[in-house]
Amino acid sequence: MRPVSPLGRLRDGLVLVGFALYATPFLWQLLTAFKPEAELMVLPPLLPTRLTWEHFRAVLDQSVMLRALVNSLGVGAITTALALAFGLFGAYGLTRYPIPGKGLLLLLVVGGTAFPQIATVSPLYLLLRALGLRDTWLALILANTSFALPLVIWLLTGFLQEVPAQLEEAAAVDGASRPRAFRWIVLPLLAPGLASAALLTFLFSWNEFLFAYTFTATEASRTVPVALALFPGVFEVPWGDIAAASMLASVPPVVLVIMLQRYLVRGLLGGALRE
Amino acid sequence: MRDRRSWHGLLLLAPALLTLGALTLYPTVWVLWLSLQRRVPIFDVHRFEGIGNYAFLATDPRFWKAAQVTVLFTIASVALEAVGGVLTALALRGQRWGSRVALSLLLLAWALPSVVTAKLFEWLYNPAVGLINFVLGGLPLNWLGDPRLALPGLILADVWRTMPFVTLLCYARLLAIPAEIYEAAQLDGAGAVATLTRVTLPLLRRILLIAVLFRTLDAVRSFDLMFVLTGGGPAGTTETLTVYAYRSLFQAVQLGLGSAVGVVVFALVMLTAWAYLRALRSEGIVA
Amino acid sequence: MKLCRSACWLTLVIGLVLIVAACAAPPDGQGPVTLVLKHAKILGPVDPIPRLLAQFEAEHPGIRVKAEVLPWTSDEQRQFLVINLEGGRPGFDVMMLDCIWVPEFARAGWLLDMTPRLARDELADDFPAAVEAGTWDQRTWALPWFMNVGLLYYRADLLRRYHFDPPATHAEMLEQIRVIRAGERNSKLEGYLWQGKQYEGLVVNVLEGLWAAGTSLLDEHDRVFPDAGRAEAVLRELRQLIDTGASPAWVTAADEESTRRPFGNGEAIFLRSWPYAADLFERSGSPVQGKVGLAPLPRDDPRRPAPGSTGGAHLAVTRQTRHPAEAFALARFLTSAPAQRAMTASGATKPTIMSLYHDPELVRLSPSLPRIHDLTLAGRSRPVTPYYVMISTTLQPELSAALVGVKTPERSVVDSRRRLDFFLRGLRE
Repeated sequence: MRPVSPLGRLRDGLVLVGFALYATPFLWQLLTAFKPEAELMVLPPLLPTRLTWEHFRAVLDQSVMLRALVNSLGVGAITTALALAFGLFGAYGLTRYPIPGKGLLLLLVVGGTAFPQIATVSPLYLLLRALGLRDTWLALILANTSFALPLVIWLLTGFLQEVPAQLEEAAAVDGASRPRAFRWIVLPLLAPGLASAALLTFLFSWNEFLFAYTFTATEASRTVPVALALFPGVFEVPWGDIAAASMLASVPPVVLVIMLQRYLVRGLLGGALRE
Repeated sequence: MRDRRSWHGLLLLAPALLTLGALTLYPTVWVLWLSLQRRVPIFDVHRFEGIGNYAFLATDPRFWKAAQVTVLFTIASVALEAVGGVLTALALRGQRWGSRVALSLLLLAWALPSVVTAKLFEWLYNPAVGLINFVLGGLPLNWLGDPRLALPGLILADVWRTMPFVTLLCYARLLAIPAEIYEAAQLDGAGAVATLTRVTLPLLRRILLIAVLFRTLDAVRSFDLMFVLTGGGPAGTTETLTVYAYRSLFQAVQLGLGSAVGVVVFALVMLTAWAYLRALRSEGIVA
Repeated sequence: MKLCRSACWLTLVIGLVLIVAACAAPPDGQGPVTLVLKHAKILGPVDPIPRLLAQFEAEHPGIRVKAEVLPWTSDEQRQFLVINLEGGRPGFDVMMLDCIWVPEFARAGWLLDMTPRLARDELADDFPAAVEAGTWDQRTWALPWFMNVGLLYYRADLLRRYHFDPPATHAEMLEQIRVIRAGERNSKLEGYLWQGKQYEGLVVNVLEGLWAAGTSLLDEHDRVFPDAGRAEAVLRELRQLIDTGASPAWVTAADEESTRRPFGNGEAIFLRSWPYAADLFERSGSPVQGKVGLAPLPRDDPRRPAPGSTGGAHLAVTRQTRHPAEAFALARFLTSAPAQRAMTASGATKPTIMSLYHDPELVRLSPSLPRIHDLTLAGRSRPVTPYYVMISTTLQPELSAALVGVKTPERSVVDSRRRLDFFLRGLRE
């Protein structure tokens, strides 16, 4: 362990201040959300004379944002469940079973993570319109899942490869069936990987904008990013209300990322470092 | 036995394959087909056009301007993120305490939805009461309205948002470097700078190239930030290919032309990915 | 067998997920006849819609009306309507349309043909331009709701001080600006404010410039910029307004509200805008109260008038509505004279019914009403063609590029024509 000199402490402190400065844009928006309306359009002074909840109240009074939060949560949760379920079974099949052409399939799946959304948005729009799924949760769930699946499969394939097949074979020798071995041996070992995949998928779904903007039309299915982008203003842009809405929109992803940092790192690295 | 097991495997893979087939592969083929048509739903126009859309794009100044903006945006963003990411990762690595807090502060920027970031910077760039002009000493710069400033402003916002990704990857890699390597370098008499350039950076190279690959692909496909922050304006100075495609599709409702631009973006992404992977393979990084 | 169990579990999971997802989709509307009205927020001190709807419901028991607000900007409103109407199940019955959308929506088959339901001469008292805007293929598709016309606001007190009459030509206006600014020695006093942001408002401003120059946007063959030379000259003139300082540089990002406010604070001599601003300027506490005059737009050639562009909104009924009779009754009610009177009295909108402009009560509340009536009558509507929106949205970036100096006017005109030729070619074959 290197000794901690006073100079070292100073350096650490300065670096920490530097990182805090990096977060300034976000902190400024946070402050704006609590600034009284009258003091918003005046700068200097930087700090308000008092803090107020008026913007949050204004945002929550109009039901659009609340409904959008519900929509985002619902779509996010179901997308995560679906992507994880399909992805887990798919990854398990790819790693544990002799599927013909599995190398090519895996390559195609991984290639799917590079897909530009703008290329598929027009056919998807026509498809969803033909199926009558416009302005429904299902449309977004399907669209989001299609983009999250390649990433989930790629991640879980990697994590599964780290779980030696011998464990299941040993269990088979002991008389356990494949599903039982999967449920009781593989799954617990895979839990961190699943957590990473779930976190990344939920984040992607929450933040997704292009499909949500195109496929939703009313508050019934509008998600948070779209509600924020279409924030109504009467005479001028209501910066305070937008700041408050932005904070509400940021709470789930920020909380998740900070609390589950570890899984985030594992997830991002799992995808990147296995080359 | 092997065939039966293959079947089981395929069955497990089936839901994923079917979903991807229906929602990704099929639309990809469909968009190619759409790009060869003249399709305007509002006016019930639905005709085969052949390469007419592509021929138009080939001589379309707006298309080439969008391509230029995309390339500029990608190169500038990725370069700044790479440099910034390495520097911040090194700074993090040297922290004895508070590194988790520091990383959290950084990840804050990455975790925000892109629309939130766009609104955030729109407020920061406000000519009258924006924080950025205030910090610059009260200069009345019209960031989002001046054709010379809009693209740099956009790039700044994007770098702020995505640099933490590069930082995270580099930092994790740095953590994995065993202390013995540094001790050996110290024994060899290497100073701080030499350690950095001869030991640390080469070890970071691999992960940095992979991070740059991911970031380049993301930057080329990027849509949310520019669409919400500037809408492609002023006068198309921040209109990337993706924004141009979207406007053609859903504002002009020219599904054929918009799909053609989308196909171009697709080809660009695939080409970039292929070029990178070849470079990585020749470096021995990818199997 | 073991695999069957796995497959069963899989199916169960998928089925459950899909059921939950389907249940999470929004429910259909239920109850008695419920009509959904989509309208943009009406600017003004009081929102007149709720009271009007309550009155309608009282007069038509058994019908409930649910009013929903459209997105804020005109582009977003249109995108919302297009995406919903195109999708086939709009979920609303009556909608407010910007007058420029009516021919397009009618051609696309999204609107209910109102011609058989209208009484003879029912629209006789509306402005002809408004009626024309709601007509396509000799049938009526939308009822005029409120009216707009582009006009020039000027600081009557400043002009009087320097013994000026409202400018008749552009040259006069520029001269007046020069003299007044030199005399006032107020660096914050701007000359001429107009809307140059990249949106429909820019096309309107350019259109008015084209009309003043004696040319137009489209000729009879729907060819854009038939007189390219004059179109370039108009763009150059607009650019020069900024270069010479007659207009501030920020007009290239300005819309209605961002130009109304400075003028309303006394920071400009001339403003090109719509009638809604007149009442706001005369509110008590307004720095320019009693100092604002209304005039027709300046012309290029004294012999040729410079009409302001007319605009406004209509009410239309969706073709797929399940209650066409009731929906039409609602549209008719909201566009009737009593309703328009209520809207004019409490909102910032101006009626389409001409006689209301001389209604004593309304004139008392808004003294500039007769003046606006005359200006509206002299106004000219934007091209009434289903392709107008496509033409406008294609022109907007080109015009903005010329204005901001990123492209030369010649280049903008050439690129505009090329683009529109490509788009319109496919449509008219």
